[in-house]
Amino acid sequence: MTRWLRYFEFFRRDPRRDIDDEIRAHLELRQADLVAQGFTPEVARARAQREFGDAAAVRETTVRVDERMMRREHRAEWWDTITRDVRVALRSLRANPGFAVSAIVCAAAGIGITAAIVSASYSVLMRSLPYRDSDRLVAIYAENTQHDWHGVNVSWGDFASWRDNNRAFQDGAAGVAIWTWTTNTLTSAATAGDDAERIYGAYVSWNLFRVLGVSPIIGRNFLPEEDAPGRNHEIIISHRLWTRRFGSDSALVGKTLQLDGRPWTVIGVMPPGFNFPDRGDAWEPFAADPNESHGNRQYAGAIGRLAPGVSVEQARADLHRIDADLEARFRDENLNWRAEVMPLRDDLVGNLRDPLKVLLAAVGLVLLLACINVANLMLARGASRAREIAIRSALGASRERLVRQLMTESLVVALAGGALGVGVAALVIRLVRAAFPGGLPFYITLGVDRAALAMVAAITIVTAILFGIIPAIRGSRADLNASLRDGARGGSGVDKARLRNALVVGEIALSAVLLTAALLLMRTYRNLHETPLGFTEQGIATAQLTLPRNAGYPTATDVQRFYARLFERLRNAPNVASVGAAQGIPFTGWDVQGDVHVEGEAPAPPGQELSTHFQYVSADYFKTMGVSLVSGRWLDASDADTLNLHVLITQQLVAKAFHGAEPLGKRVRIGRDPWATVVGVIQDYHHYRLPEPPPPAIFYSTAAYTPRQMTIAIRAKSGDPHDLVPLLRSAVREIDPQVALFQVQTMDEVVMRMLWRQRLMGNVLGTFAALALAMACVGLYGVVSYAVSQRTREIGVRVALGATRGTVLRLVLGHGTRLVMAGIAAGLVAAYFAMRILQTLLYGVHATDPMTFGIVALGLTAVALLAAAIPSRRATRVDPIIAMRAE
Amino acid sequence: MPRPVDLLQGTLDLLILKTLSWGPAHGYAVARWIEQLTGEVLNVGEGSLYPALHRLEERGWVTSEWQLSSTKRRTKVYRLTTDGRGQLRAESSQWASFVDAVAKVLRAQEQPS
Repeated sequence: MTRWLRYFEFFRRDPRRDIDDEIRAHLELRQADLVAQGFTPEVARARAQREFGDAAAVRETTVRVDERMMRREHRAEWWDTITRDVRVALRSLRANPGFAVSAIVCAAAGIGITAAIVSASYSVLMRSLPYRDSDRLVAIYAENTQHDWHGVNVSWGDFASWRDNNRAFQDGAAGVAIWTWTTNTLTSAATAGDDAERIYGAYVSWNLFRVLGVSPIIGRNFLPEEDAPGRNHEIIISHRLWTRRFGSDSALVGKTLQLDGRPWTVIGVMPPGFNFPDRGDAWEPFAADPNESHGNRQYAGAIGRLAPGVSVEQARADLHRIDADLEARFRDENLNWRAEVMPLRDDLVGNLRDPLKVLLAAVGLVLLLACINVANLMLARGASRAREIAIRSALGASRERLVRQLMTESLVVALAGGALGVGVAALVIRLVRAAFPGGLPFYITLGVDRAALAMVAAITIVTAILFGIIPAIRGSRADLNASLRDGARGGSGVDKARLRNALVVGEIALSAVLLTAALLLMRTYRNLHETPLGFTEQGIATAQLTLPRNAGYPTATDVQRFYARLFERLRNAPNVASVGAAQGIPFTGWDVQGDVHVEGEAPAPPGQELSTHFQYVSADYFKTMGVSLVSGRWLDASDADTLNLHVLITQQLVAKAFHGAEPLGKRVRIGRDPWATVVGVIQDYHHYRLPEPPPPAIFYSTAAYTPRQMTIAIRAKSGDPHDLVPLLRSAVREIDPQVALFQVQTMDEVVMRMLWRQRLMGNVLGTFAALALAMACVGLYGVVSYAVSQRTREIGVRVALGATRGTVLRLVLGHGTRLVMAGIAAGLVAAYFAMRILQTLLYGVHATDPMTFGIVALGLTAVALLAAAIPSRRATRVDPIIAMRAE
Repeated sequence: MPRPVDLLQGTLDLLILKTLSWGPAHGYAVARWIEQLTGEVLNVGEGSLYPALHRLEERGWVTSEWQLSSTKRRTKVYRLTTDGRGQLRAESSQWASFVDAVAKVLRAQEQPS
C-alpha cells in the first residue's frame, strides 16, 4: 500500500493539495482529542481552527518552500540524466573511434569551410563601405554605346554638366565629385633626412570628402576656392602617412611639405582607416581648367551621392538625359557617349562577384556532402547497433530513453564537430586573407561571421540529430524477435541499406560535380599560365620612376639626359644583359589607345575605327623583354627626329590595319597626331591582361620624346633578377637622390599577380574537391564494409560450397561498383548543367569539356573502387566455419 | 497554567529534529509531543510548525511520506534522515554550550573588571 501511494505521490505531487490534506488531518486529530476531553464536536472544531491560526499563511509559506524544493529536484534530476547520457555517449564513441573521428572531422570541415566562405562573401558583397550611408554612393564612368566600351575615364566637361544639371543627386556640395589617380615624390618632410619616396594619392574636387561624408580628424576640408587652377597649394594626407612619416606630429597641419619639388601646405589629416580611391596617402585639389573639352576623357571617374530615395536606375536615367543634351551640343566629342552609373560597392568588388558566386555554390555542395556523410555515418552506426537497441528495448528501456541516448550521442558528435569547425573557419579565413596579393583591400573586412557560423552549425547539428535518431526510432519500434533472430542485420535492414546506398550515390555525384569544377578552373589557370606571352618574363627586374617637372627636370631634354645617364650606368654594371624602359610594361594596367589611320587609305567610317595601343619605348626595351623582331629594324638613337617619327608596330596591326600588305616604310598615325614611319614589325605579345589577345600596337621611340614617368626593365645575365634591385636603387640615387623608385617587382611577380585570382580559385576548388572525394570515399567505405558484415554468413556458405576468392570479391565489389557508377553518371549529368555558371571564369577550356569529364569519371572510379575494395578484401578472407558459427 | 513562552529563532528546528529522533510522526504529533514535554510552557504555533517541517525537508534533514491514518485519511509522516540525525547532534551541542554560556553570565557574582 505504502509503495503504491509513493508512486501515486511521485506522479501526482501537488504542493497545494498536499498542504490542504496535511492541515485537514491536523485539525481532525485535534478535534478528536478535544472531543475526547469532553467538548462537543462543534466547539471542538471551532477551537481546533482557532488554535491553528492563519491556515492561509501557513499554506502559502509551505507551498513556496515545496515548489522551490521540487524545482531543485527536477533540475538535479535533469542534470543527472544529461551527464549520465553524455558519459554513456562518450564511452560508446570511444569504443568506436573510427566512427567518432570521421563524423566529427566531416562535420568540422563542412561547418568550418562553409562558415568561412559565407562570411567572406557576406563581407565582400553586403557589408557597407567605410563611408557615410555608403549604399547611396555611386561610381560614375563613361561608356560608349557604339563600341560597347565600359568603365572609360570621364572628362571634366561631362562631369561639370552632370554636377550642375542633375536632379537625382544630393543637393549642393555633397552631390557629385570627380577624382583621378596621381602619384607624387615626397622629398622633404618635417623630419629632415628621410629618403625620397613615392606616395599614391588622388586629385579630388574640393567636395569629394563631403560626398563621401568623411571629414579630416585633424585640420579641415578643402574650400571651394582652393580647387581653382593656380590656387591649389593645400593637401590633405592620410592617417597612415601622418603616423608613418611624420610621427603623428599634431603640429603638422599648417606646415609645408615638398611634393615633386613643389611646396604644399598640409591642411588636414583623414581619420585612420579612411581610404580613397583604393589606397592613397595624399589628396590634392583637382584644379581643372574649367574650359577643358568634353572629349578629353582622361580622369579616373566621378563619385556621386544619390538624393534620399533615389535609385541607381533613376540616377542613371537622369544623367543620360543630360548626356542626350550634350550629344546634341557637342557632336564630335559626345556622340554615343554617356554616363555609366553603378553602386560604389559594385565598382570596388565587381570583379570578385563571379568567383564568389562559384565559391558559394561549391561550398554549398561541400556542406551538403558533409551533412550526407554525417547522416550516412549515423545511419551506419545505428544499423550496427540495431541489435543492442533491440536488447535494451527488451530489457525495459523506454523508447524515449533510447531516442534520448542516441540523440545525445549525435549531439556530442555534432557539437565536437561544431567546436572544431570554428577553428577550421578561422583557419580558412586566414588562408583567404593570405591569398590576396598586397594585403586585403580596405573595403573587405574578413572575419568569421557569427550568424553564418551559427546557421551552418545548426544545419549540421540538425542533420546529425535527425539521422542519429532514425535508427533509434526504428530500432525501438522494430519487432524484437525479428531483430534478434536476424542477428546483426537489424530490424528494417533493407530500408536502411537503400537509404544509405542513395546517400552514397549522392555523395559520389556531388564530388563528381566539385571535381569537374576544380579541374576546369585548374586547367584555366594552367592554360593562362602556359599561354605564350610573347615575351620572356624570367630574369627581369622592373621599377617605375617619375621625374618631377618642378625639381630639376623642367624640360624634355632634362628628362632624356637623366635616362641616358641611368641606362649608361646600368648597362655597364655586371650581370646586366640589357636595359630598357617603356611607359607601361605588360599587366600593370597601362593601356592607352587611340584610333589608327594608315596614310593613303580612306579614313574608317565612324564606328569602324581600329583602336590601337600606343606608347613610347626605349631602344632596348623589346630586347630586354624578349620580344622578337619579325621584319625591319629595331628603334635606336637615330630615331630622334621629331619631325620624322619612326615607329615599331605589332603583327596584329599589320594584319588589321594593313590587311597583310607590306607595312615597312608606310606611315601611320593615331587620331590627329603627326604621321610616323614604320621601321620594324615586332612579334605580338600580351599586354593588358590575360586572357585578352595581344593588341594591335604602335611604339614610338623615347629618342624623339621621353615621358616623365617610365617603367625601367633590366634583364639579368643569370641568377635572380631581385639581385639587380640594389644596383638600380644605387644608380638612381647616385644620379639624383630626389627621385623615388616605386612598384619594384620582377616580371615573374607581375605575371603571377595578374593570375592570382585564377590560381586562388583553382586551389580553393581543388581543396574542396579533394575534401569531397575523401568524404565520398569514407561514405562508400562505410557502406561496403557494412554490406560485407551483413553478408558474412552468406559468403561463408558460398565459400563452403566452393566459391573462389575471385567470385566472392566480384560479388561484394559489384555492389560498390554499381553505387560508384550510378553516382558518377548522376554527377556528370549534374555537372554538365551546373558548369555553365563557371563559363565566365574559364579560359582555354569549355565548361562541358569532354576530356575533363572523362578524367573525372576515370579518376573518381579508380579512387572510389579502391575505397570499396579494401572492405571487399575482408570478404574474401571469410572463414566459412567461423562465419557460420558466429550466428 | 503558565503563560506560554515564544520560541527563540532556530530553536523550533532543534525541537522538531529531537522529537522525530524517536521515530516517524505527523505534524500534529510533533506539536503535541513538544507541548507535553515542556509542560505546555513552550507553545508551538502551527503557523510556524508546518513551514519549519517543510524547510527541514527541503534541506534534506527529514523526509516525508504519505500514509493512511486510522481514519483512512491521507496523512503526511515525517522521518529523520541520517543527515538530520547529524544535524540534531551538532545543534544539540551548540545549544548546550549556548545555555551554559548564558547561565554563566546569569550566575555571575561580580562585575568583570
